[in-house]
Amino acid sequence: MDTSPTSPPASAAARWKSFGSRERENLRKSLRKYRWLYIMLIPPLAYFVVFQYVPLWNAQIAFKDFRPLLGVWGSPFTGFDHFITFFHSYYFSELISNTLIFSFLKLFVGIPLAVILALALYETMFLRFRTIVQTIAYLPHFLSWVIMFGVLLMLLSPGEGLINAVIKANGGRPIAFLTSPEWFRFVVVASDIWKETGWSTIIYLAALMAIDPTLYEAAAVDGASRFHRIWYISLPGILPVVAVITMLRLGHILNAGFNQIFILYSLPVYSVGDIIDTWVYRQGILEFQFSLATAVGLFKGVIGLILVVVSNRLARRIGGAGLY
Amino acid sequence: MRIRIKSWDDLVFQILVNGFLLTVLLVVTIPIWRVFIMSITPLAWAEGTSLGLWIPPGEWSNEAYKQLFNHPAFLQAATNSVIITVGGTAINLFLTVPLAYALSNENLPGRKFLVTFILIPFLFHAGLIPTYLVVQKLGLVDNLLAVMLPGAVSVYNTLVMKGFFEGLPEELKEAARLDGANEVQVLWHVILPLSKPILLTIGLFYAVSHWNEFFNPILYLNRADLQPLPVLLRNILLAANINEYLDYDAFARAPIAAFKAASVFITMLPMVIVYPWIQRYFTKGTLLGAVKE
Amino acid sequence: MSKSLSKFFLIAVAAAMILTACGPTATPEATEVAVETEAPADVVTEEPTPVPMEPAELEIWVSGRVSEAGPPPEDWVAYQIIQDELLIDLELVLLPSSAGDQDTKINTAAASNSLPDLFFVSRDTLYDLVQVGLVAPVDDLLPLMPVRTETHYSDPNRNALVTFDGQMYGLPDPGQIPMTDGLVIRQDWLDALGLQAPTTLDDFMTVATAFTFDDPDGNGQADTYGFCAFIDGSGLSNMGLGPRFNFIYGAYGVAGVWNLNSADEFGLNARDPRFMEATQFIRSMVEAGVIDPDWPTLSKDDFRAGWKQGQCGIMSENFAALANRSNYAAFDENNPEGEWVVIPPPVGPYGDSSEGVIIQTARIYAVSQRAIDEGKGPAIARLLEWMATDGYMLMAFGEEGVNFNLDNNGYITLEGIDPELAWNTSAMQPLTQLANMVYIFTDVELQARYQSHTSLNGRTIEPLAFLAGFSEQPWTEATGSAIINPPANAADFTRFYSENLVQFVLGQQDLNEETWAAFLEGLDSLGAADLEAVAKQDLIDAGFLR
Repeated sequence: MDTSPTSPPASAAARWKSFGSRERENLRKSLRKYRWLYIMLIPPLAYFVVFQYVPLWNAQIAFKDFRPLLGVWGSPFTGFDHFITFFHSYYFSELISNTLIFSFLKLFVGIPLAVILALALYETMFLRFRTIVQTIAYLPHFLSWVIMFGVLLMLLSPGEGLINAVIKANGGRPIAFLTSPEWFRFVVVASDIWKETGWSTIIYLAALMAIDPTLYEAAAVDGASRFHRIWYISLPGILPVVAVITMLRLGHILNAGFNQIFILYSLPVYSVGDIIDTWVYRQGILEFQFSLATAVGLFKGVIGLILVVVSNRLARRIGGAGLY
Repeated sequence: MRIRIKSWDDLVFQILVNGFLLTVLLVVTIPIWRVFIMSITPLAWAEGTSLGLWIPPGEWSNEAYKQLFNHPAFLQAATNSVIITVGGTAINLFLTVPLAYALSNENLPGRKFLVTFILIPFLFHAGLIPTYLVVQKLGLVDNLLAVMLPGAVSVYNTLVMKGFFEGLPEELKEAARLDGANEVQVLWHVILPLSKPILLTIGLFYAVSHWNEFFNPILYLNRADLQPLPVLLRNILLAANINEYLDYDAFARAPIAAFKAASVFITMLPMVIVYPWIQRYFTKGTLLGAVKE
Repeated sequence: MSKSLSKFFLIAVAAAMILTACGPTATPEATEVAVETEAPADVVTEEPTPVPMEPAELEIWVSGRVSEAGPPPEDWVAYQIIQDELLIDLELVLLPSSAGDQDTKINTAAASNSLPDLFFVSRDTLYDLVQVGLVAPVDDLLPLMPVRTETHYSDPNRNALVTFDGQMYGLPDPGQIPMTDGLVIRQDWLDALGLQAPTTLDDFMTVATAFTFDDPDGNGQADTYGFCAFIDGSGLSNMGLGPRFNFIYGAYGVAGVWNLNSADEFGLNARDPRFMEATQFIRSMVEAGVIDPDWPTLSKDDFRAGWKQGQCGIMSENFAALANRSNYAAFDENNPEGEWVVIPPPVGPYGDSSEGVIIQTARIYAVSQRAIDEGKGPAIARLLEWMATDGYMLMAFGEEGVNFNLDNNGYITLEGIDPELAWNTSAMQPLTQLANMVYIFTDVELQARYQSHTSLNGRTIEPLAFLAGFSEQPWTEATGSAIINPPANAADFTRFYSENLVQFVLGQQDLNEETWAAFLEGLDSLGAADLEAVAKQDLIDAGFLR
């Protein structure tokens, strides 16, 4: 890397010169060969520059005391103050651990369940039944969390909830599922899985559809059992998709589901329910501390980056396909 | 039928599979049925009577639906939602497909750099204000494009689609290239016809998120005649929350819970209509059939 | 056929009721709560010598009176008048319904320095916007709108809400009528169980227990609760369990979050040992099971669904939410014999009682600094002044002769009005979306907005009678707490305070002197003492503390 920033054109020219003529020729060739691909890339890359990278440039307010009248550039520099404010905030460690617990539970319970459901849908011999289950299983995705809260209250409320009615009928004491710290996490994870599992099978199902059916036929001829065929053909067939999705979810590990928690949590369960994003909303957006909110966003990105890089290495080492 | 029961092994397997699916069906259906019952509950029943899973059909009330459909802004809002969904999804696919296709070409010089280039914004969200500043500077406030453009490419969807393209047989592309087709032509004539399942899947992902979107419209659209359906429904429902000074009777004809529930079904309706049509493409061998042609 | 007949009948009854209500025997208790101003229609007499008007374009963001009804139509008669007579091209934007959405929208617009010319804003957000210099002082605008200043902006308490460093940074319109929420009890349940209305906290517990366990509705099911409430309110002036529990703290002499009795006593009420005792009392109610066990998660909606269903024996509720026809109908259908009556707040062990705190609120309209820089100040004042004078009736009730008529005493009547065009039908709501910008709670307004109606079994339900009943109770004045500015860690501070109180009450934490001391220590580690010191000075400066 050239380190003299004063003369970038000269250094670029110098680099170009030091480039062997054969390499130069190769580069020119491949640029010509792939020119249509590069042309195709112009609109999407322009999108990324305008709507992702310019905002990221604006995200420098994380290191500044953002003043709307002075603009992004003109606001006074504060360094890492906002990050430190966040790290030193009263509930910091609790926020981090709550966020991680929710994320990992949703990830490691949700993905296997979705894969199992996709396999079951793929394997059932009743096609019409499959269509019905599939369509119905997608529907909860369309319930907003506001409505979900109503549904959960109907199921779980200690006063009139369906489940508590059953408990009471059997002589038990009603359980305040939504307001007791022991149950709240379970409710959050279970309701998320109920809502999203059906929908997330789409992607696995599409991957299963892409598996060459002749593989199954060959295996059947070899006398492989159904379970064996799943284990040796279906699962390896969708593993790359599972790996990619897992890695992407790891990249967003510190997003534990703002919309859900925001609706479901209440004062008695803040200690197990409050997550980074709900805190940022209360402290950053509503209290007009945008620099703080942006700083926390960048912090989340750093953690995500680390996890993606590590998991990508791991996936490669195990022999799977990486993200890049 | 494509599978015949030939052995005990098959039978056990099918019992397990279908038993599991039946369980899923029940676990999902019961609460949704309850939401439906809520939506047709007449005022006199209020909510909560017994377990709330049954109301005799004679007593069903369609007041909540009637009131929502009859809202003066309903038609306008639904139209806006359709525009946002169709237009937004078109933009999404127009940007996502070429990106995914280019990235799926293992030999493309600079590919690694490009993947990194799109992964960085995926990991580092600039956040609410930095993005708002850009949209506002571009003069997109009060323009439906402000709702469609800022999230026009989902990295998640792009990488999933890229994975699909990578799985397509390389020989097909090579054959076309040898016939003198450029990459645009290869994509258009060879790849896309094979990619209906993934295009529909990703298209559906995008469409659903546009259809349900309420946050960006609230932020970027000031004019009332631009608001999409979720914003209208949200305003109606949240208004019920603060109706202490309502001195007219819009909410006097059905329980508030019925309005909430009815709005769910109104939002789900297009999906229920569109899905079976898409379902046709989700069958085994779509790919194979195309490859053989 | 029969439907339209009954509709006609209802309207006829309503019209007749309004007529009787507005006659010379108009309910005297209603006039008491009315803000003491003349009906604005009378004030319109003298106008200052007209200053030459500069044409202007104004964009204003307001919260509609009935937010689900949509904005006024494009051919709204008011647009034409504002254009022709005031030379103002008005662009009107209705803010989203929820307070959180409103704050987010205004904060983002503020961040990009693209705030509209005039906008509705919460007091806490206004404080933030003043800090960053986006909002202009309005002192210079007040002389340009003499009538409005007289009728809307001359209450020193409300003005204090928007005053920073001696300048007014917003226009504090009357927010709510004070003392709107109070304790009510199911008289029919008392009668069914042969009980008397409670007067002390002990009685209160006895009645609540009987309401919970003795099947007051006689349906053979354990589906009733003595007391219903939910966690209402937030922010530094309402944190903790919120206003719906305030009467219990009032019984111990410590209603509200802050002690505003005097400069010497000022501080968090939680520092007073009686505050812990009151919390203990609420805990004992929870333990006895006399509160609806869902209370910590309930929203206002859910809470209201509960009493409408007939689950609640005692509660603190807003008079209009309780008794306005639109709200009462569901309760009436489910409980035709149900009857709510006002009871005084129970008296505690030291002889104290209070219904709750009076915190005067304002609907604040702020003027952006940009609008002032662009010379739009006079146009804004012109518009607001017109709304308070010539435009008042049009804003509040629509067109006279089309949407409403005035009777001989100057009260609103629907006589001679096409029932479909009446100002209070749902179809006409878009026409009065700006009413909150002009309401000043005159008797004419109150009579029109909170009409008496007849229940299914023929009783007369008078919302204004409930309001009058509440305002006769003892209350604790605490308007000053609204000007306590949030500290930098406001979200953590309010969470800590509220969360601990809820945990104490629910039994998730032991409640004794030791744990209480730990709670107070925790508050101090979050900066409670500093907050108190700063707040005290602000309150003294604003004249709320002596």
